[in-house]
Amino acid sequence: MAIQIILLCGLVIFSGLAILFKDLLKAALSLAVASLFLGIIFFRLGAPYAGVFEISVVAGLITVLFILTIALTKRGDEVTEARLVKLAFPVFFILFLVIDGLVMKSLLQKIPALPSGPEAGSFGQVLWQQRTFDLVAQIGVILAGVLAVLALFRKKEEDKDE
Amino acid sequence: MSNLWFLYLFFAALLIFIGIYCLLTMRNLIKLFIAVEVISKGVSLAIVATGAVKNNILLAQSLAITYIVVEVSLVATALALIINIYKKNKSLDVRLLSKLKG
Amino acid sequence: MVFSFIVIPLLVAAFLPLIGKFSKKLLPDVLTNAALAYLLFNSILLVKPIFHQGVIVQNLNWLGEKVNLQLALDSFNLFMLFTIALVSLCISLFSIDYLEHYGHKSTFYALFLVMIAGMNGLVLVPDLFSIYLFLEVAAVASYALVAFGLGYDELEASFKYLMLSVVASAFALLSIVIIFGMTGSLNFQAVAQGLQDLEARLVVGVCVAFFIMGFGLKAALVPFHAWLPDAHPSAPAPISAMLSGLLIKVSGIYALFRVIYSVIGITPVLSRLLMALGTVSMVVAALLALGQKDIKRMLAYSSISQVGYIVLGLALGTPLGIAGALFHLFNHAVAKGLLFLNSGSIQHITGTRNLEELGGLGKKVPVTAGTNLVGSLSIAGVPPLAGFWSKLIIIMALIQAREFGYALVAILASILTLWYYLLIQRKAFFGRVADRWLLVKEAPFWMSAANVVLALICILAGIFFSPIFKTWISPAAEALARGVQQVLMWGL
Repeated sequence: MAIQIILLCGLVIFSGLAILFKDLLKAALSLAVASLFLGIIFFRLGAPYAGVFEISVVAGLITVLFILTIALTKRGDEVTEARLVKLAFPVFFILFLVIDGLVMKSLLQKIPALPSGPEAGSFGQVLWQQRTFDLVAQIGVILAGVLAVLALFRKKEEDKDE
Repeated sequence: MSNLWFLYLFFAALLIFIGIYCLLTMRNLIKLFIAVEVISKGVSLAIVATGAVKNNILLAQSLAITYIVVEVSLVATALALIINIYKKNKSLDVRLLSKLKG
Repeated sequence: MVFSFIVIPLLVAAFLPLIGKFSKKLLPDVLTNAALAYLLFNSILLVKPIFHQGVIVQNLNWLGEKVNLQLALDSFNLFMLFTIALVSLCISLFSIDYLEHYGHKSTFYALFLVMIAGMNGLVLVPDLFSIYLFLEVAAVASYALVAFGLGYDELEASFKYLMLSVVASAFALLSIVIIFGMTGSLNFQAVAQGLQDLEARLVVGVCVAFFIMGFGLKAALVPFHAWLPDAHPSAPAPISAMLSGLLIKVSGIYALFRVIYSVIGITPVLSRLLMALGTVSMVVAALLALGQKDIKRMLAYSSISQVGYIVLGLALGTPLGIAGALFHLFNHAVAKGLLFLNSGSIQHITGTRNLEELGGLGKKVPVTAGTNLVGSLSIAGVPPLAGFWSKLIIIMALIQAREFGYALVAILASILTLWYYLLIQRKAFFGRVADRWLLVKEAPFWMSAANVVLALICILAGIFFSPIFKTWISPAAEALARGVQQVLMWGL
């Protein structure tokens, strides 16, 4: 359990760093490290496939996309953030931490849940036989993403805008 | 096992808070999208943890994978938008995007 | 047969970019419109079985393997499917001519079809997580479509829309996860049953709050409306029509009320809260609309205001209120689609959308002016057009439920609506022809044709209001009003 909590803290710390770093490259890399932590947490929770996806796709592919974008938008990190934002962050964070803790503690007894037995079958069966519709929707989402990129990076054939 | 569920939801809520704080205050477009990524990490943590403590891990795992696929597609779209905005603006400052007001 | 509502648009969308390589215009036009016409035809064919059986649940087997492709269709879903198919067909007819100057028609149509597939899927699935997924399918396509012009405003609006809507769907998903944790299931029926067995008022309250935040943002209810007046006017006209006419209703109103009525079950407190939200949207947006100079911006605010009416009627919860709201949903989809397409025609004809610059177009472009008048009057609620009846029913339902205050506000808001629509008419079409518009020509054939078809629907739905209402709207309203019982009856 202690290891799990350390991993969760690492996840939160690196996510926090990802938004606090001024340098976008460092921010993207801390986001990747956070994903790495999340992937390990998934694995320890008994979701190895989700963990692999998290590490390979989110920590890998999405980070590559981020770095590509950062490289393409060179002067991007010249944007100055308001200084107050970073100074105020720990204050708000601790405030929220306390509220969050209190809310979760008070809800602790309040959520009833239906008893559930252990699941039958393997992961593959669940994914392909119970959640088949999600696979159809995934095709739709991927198609939408691909088409969106095609549409946004198209060459304007003739610029007759107005 | 119920206590564990709240522990994970506690951390998920923290991640979502970090993301929303950043969304509300930061000015760099890429930073804003990193914030969205942090929020979605919180959500996927909630999905898997819920499945794990409620004995539904196989189902939760397939939901998490689907969620990751959605995330990739969103990231691709959003980054394409950001690159296009940069081409027009030569800047990533969100304050330059105030021509349209709600 | 029901499954084709999702598969056919997706299939056509997948092949369109390839087809676009060798046929830039003709084939994409024909294929898209044929696919949508097929969907419309299909939804009409389904009316009879639904009328007899009440509900169709389909389980598909695929190559002999047992897979879980489960769809549930009752009269409420069917009503939404028909509305989606009808309005999107008219919009794609309009796009044939309108998109000439944007280029890349095939990519546009493909995204358009993916959006429709997303909406159809959202309407058909009986599963909470799948609702989220199809919401995301439609949303990703719509981000790209809003930015399709690649101009400055489009990109900015699309980025704002994306940011807000991602947060919204994250909240909706979070609430789905909590419900999943409590009931151990995602299927409507199992969740509805589970929540009835559990006594968990507080947590369900939190979930509902998240749902209202998430889906309310998609539906642009007033505290969450900031993205809509940017995103809808910036998009190309057919997409504005699509977003305002259909997307906010399907991914906002349908999802919210399907979950609240059929899964969670409505309570008096919730009903009060939603009625208040609806009324606030109705009034605030109508007041904001008055000050707008850009036609499309005015129309966008008007959409928020009309969504307020629909939410008010649906939240009231009496069968009459729900029926009125659903009828208004249909009328608004048709009329707002018409008006946004019309603003596209105006922009095509004159090159501007600024009301101050227009004037006296009525004599020059009679078709555009006439259809615009019909659409405006229908939304504003002037008899005998369709919008009048739906508003009348909502107000009657409010009076019947002894909500006189709400009824009064609804009447006042409809007067405001009439006012700003007459403003459009007066500034754009009536009066003397300004010199610079002396040489303008009527919009191209398909644009005018789509406008005329939609205007005819407004008029016909008004004239044949009572048979339409009896055979088509009332069953849909009853299906929703039966609430959780309806879903338990599905037998998933």
